[in-house]
Amino acid sequence: MKKAIYVFNEGKFKRKDNTLYFETEQGKRYIPVEDINEIHVYGEVDLNKRFLEFLTQKEIILHFYNNYGYYSGSYYPREHLNSGYMTLHQAEHYLDEQRRLMLAKLFVQGASANMLEVLKYYHNRGKDLTRALQSIGNLIDRIDESVSVEVLMAVEGNIRDAYYSAFNTIIDKSDFLFEGRNRRPPRDRINALISFGNTMTYTACLSEIYRTHLDPRISYLHTTNFRRFSLNLDIAEIFKPILVDRIIFYLLARNMLRSTHFENKMGGILLNDKGRQVFVNEWEKRLRTTIKHRDIGHEVSYRRLIRLELYKLEKHLIGEKLYKAYVSRW
Amino acid sequence: MPETEFQVNGTLIWYYYICKRQVWLMAHALGPDQEDNNLYQGRTIHEFSYQRDKKEINLGNIKIDLVRSEKGRLIIGEIKKSSKFLTSATRQLQFYLWQIEQMGIAACGELFIPEEKQRIEVILDEEARLELETATKKIIDIVEKAAPPPAQKIKWCKPCAYAEFCWA
Repeated sequence: MKKAIYVFNEGKFKRKDNTLYFETEQGKRYIPVEDINEIHVYGEVDLNKRFLEFLTQKEIILHFYNNYGYYSGSYYPREHLNSGYMTLHQAEHYLDEQRRLMLAKLFVQGASANMLEVLKYYHNRGKDLTRALQSIGNLIDRIDESVSVEVLMAVEGNIRDAYYSAFNTIIDKSDFLFEGRNRRPPRDRINALISFGNTMTYTACLSEIYRTHLDPRISYLHTTNFRRFSLNLDIAEIFKPILVDRIIFYLLARNMLRSTHFENKMGGILLNDKGRQVFVNEWEKRLRTTIKHRDIGHEVSYRRLIRLELYKLEKHLIGEKLYKAYVSRW
Repeated sequence: MPETEFQVNGTLIWYYYICKRQVWLMAHALGPDQEDNNLYQGRTIHEFSYQRDKKEINLGNIKIDLVRSEKGRLIIGEIKKSSKFLTSATRQLQFYLWQIEQMGIAACGELFIPEEKQRIEVILDEEARLELETATKKIIDIVEKAAPPPAQKIKWCKPCAYAEFCWA
């Protein structure tokens, strides 16, 4: 499977014949171009058009993050998979309110089911999460009753609040007190971790969309009109609980992330470079972890699961098979 | 103006003898997983074999892998990864010969299988012309359907680059 590359230091990207390399003050690091399909840039880098053209040719997507670790944009090479047929169906499902609402509900249902799975896991391991489990259970019924995407978004917000209210019980560390979700800038360390991890999920989903016939600009739960990419946000909803939140709990329970991995910046709290590396290492490990897939009949990685989700969406759009979100069975 | 500018091509003939669903998907520009290992291997073999020959010749709606002239004969070649899909490969090449014949060019056909160091001669006979005529009509019927034929497990599913799409 092709790899993702993460760049934290300063340097220059270059193309030399048919290879890529990254030049820093310490030396050169060659990047085998056939082995990678995305590059994540956190550090300060120089690059030129020749380099970008090479990425286009090799269909490699380049994601940029600013100094604070916020997503700033992607070099999304020219589309290499075009199907007018798929694009029309994708747009049709957006423009028809009932069809759009149906897909939006399926995404929220999937996301909620995965949140429940995460909570149940810790509940079964002695954390008393009865209250959060109950409130989510009650709220889930309201997903289907939502008469518009706006109402649905509000229900989703309530589910997320109930879910986040369980985080302190699960984490149970005085250095990592969670005071409800806030962002830009995150006001506590848990918020910093959630923001960082969610961003990773958005870019991973975008990278996978690039390898399908779907247009990343047309989404259903999120509104299409106001930004460049949004379908990745829809798909990310399904995976945030099982990827990001599980990584956060895992890293904290093993003291792999400590308060020294954070810093005060911009009037908020953010992961520092060391902290980001710890997170990214675990993230990559997770994405490569494989699980047995019953319908496919062989092992698939979590990264592949994102792709399968997109295939299912494609089949829904062309009227082949009703979309059903992936729900983790742990 | 006809409603579609759709034209049957060699790839669709190839797929027709393997899986009808692939025919529909390919015709709607829904290509398979580009990172699939088999696909990648095929592309590599194609790129690095027979580098001295003329390759990838576009003639109308057909794309010929390789054209070579031997002892005054014009050879139309199709490069394949293995001899596993011989029926498909033969029909595909016969389709090219048939198309070329209609353009008034006489040529011989050969399948090139570099990995097996094999060359297989393919001829266009009356049986093949009739078969291709039927196949072309049936392909148009498949492609004009609103949705792809449902996925069915066959023995070719295992190494297929569409498998995850079909079974997800």
